[in-house]
Amino acid sequence: MNIEITASGKPFVHNHSAHCESGVTSALFRDQGLDISEALVFGIGSGIFFGHLFFVKMVGLPITTFRSQPGAVFRKAGKRLGVKFVTKRFRNPQKGMAELRQLLKQGQIVGLTTNIYWLSYFPNRFRFQFNGHNLIALREIEGGFRVSDPVLEHPVDCLAEDLERARFSHGPLEPHGLMYYPSFVPQNPDIKKACIKGMKDTCNMMLRTHIPIFGVRGIRFLAKRIKNSPQKLGFHEACRHLGNIVRMQEEIGTGGAGFRFMYAAFLQEAGELFQSDELKQLSQEMTAIGDIWREFAVVSARIIKQRGKTEDTFDKVYDILMECAAREEALFRKLNEVVRKLKV
Amino acid sequence: MELEDEIFNDGLPKAYYKHDDNGQYVLETDAPWAEKVSCALIISGNRANLEEIRKAVLAGQKSPIYYYMEMRQLTSGMLAKAAGIAVFRVKRHFRPEIFAKLKPSVLNRYTNALRVTLEELKTVPNI
Repeated sequence: MNIEITASGKPFVHNHSAHCESGVTSALFRDQGLDISEALVFGIGSGIFFGHLFFVKMVGLPITTFRSQPGAVFRKAGKRLGVKFVTKRFRNPQKGMAELRQLLKQGQIVGLTTNIYWLSYFPNRFRFQFNGHNLIALREIEGGFRVSDPVLEHPVDCLAEDLERARFSHGPLEPHGLMYYPSFVPQNPDIKKACIKGMKDTCNMMLRTHIPIFGVRGIRFLAKRIKNSPQKLGFHEACRHLGNIVRMQEEIGTGGAGFRFMYAAFLQEAGELFQSDELKQLSQEMTAIGDIWREFAVVSARIIKQRGKTEDTFDKVYDILMECAAREEALFRKLNEVVRKLKV
Repeated sequence: MELEDEIFNDGLPKAYYKHDDNGQYVLETDAPWAEKVSCALIISGNRANLEEIRKAVLAGQKSPIYYYMEMRQLTSGMLAKAAGIAVFRVKRHFRPEIFAKLKPSVLNRYTNALRVTLEELKTVPNI
């Protein structure tokens, strides 16, 4: 167990979680007395998504996202559970840091959106310019802050300079020092109702977007682009693009197969909550889809590693992704039916 | 040791949802193989790119600002915003002959944005 003491003397339990934003949200709610798991928060906040943003480049490579936009999980989960929360952005870094110090002194723990590159407690492999990493500041210490980063196993120390840079970094999706904390958390919220809302919203986002780069259509769009990439970009460049997708799929921030497993964990919990076997079956199906995503990652990694010497080709990747798309479409259609039959 | 083992052997594992034997989800900390390979590919690509730029700077084709920008994984647009200098000026400063004439006030803006010292900014590490 990782127990930290905040400035007000209240104990704070640090939990290791698979995704920064849902981890932060569930920790903030838990601190206020609402015990809710990471997976439930993820499902209620409709965290699962897909989008291939070929026109937004990060380190020269297009972004593929496997989750909804940063900040959405906290906002949506908060709304659906009836939590009142405060969010603040700043123009002036000094003001932003002063406000943070003030809140911490009062004993409030605060969620922060940061740029992961400037957080030097991370090892090199985590560090790239991505403005959507979330963490919780627990209290001020000499020369810095004690922070609970849900991606790491234990709470860590962060230099004040690092944190200021990370909170007020530049680039796409600038955080502007965004900080957030719940001001009121209901003790017995209607979790079932929130789950239904979250699931319906997820189905809508995955199935009914009109823009072809999002949702299930987005997966097919990406599949086609990957299939054509060796001819378009040359083999080496195509490998780099593929490697980037796999890294996004697994690595921090955006993480595909991991998110599928997390959603399966949510469906399992929801299935127990509603006593619904159908949801539990869907959870199994989601796990199977997650396994296909993982297979996609493995085949892609093999292509990258062996430079096309094996039978793993870009066409095979295309087939795997198309299967992913077909099965996810079927799953969300089924979920859409099931969720309408659930009773609050 | 291979690069992927090296970069993942730092004692700071991430958590992954996995099925345990009873079909329940639990958190585990072993990174999947695919993640290691793709992460190593990107990092080795970045390192090779940086090395090339370092040589270009030493050969006098680029200014050190370009090297440090690439080291911080920034683009010229992001650097311009962070330093408060127009993009076209930043791009102009990539030319060594123009970089050599920069005033200290401009250099200071770059040192703040790139988080390097003034001495570091004037050269690149010569290994």
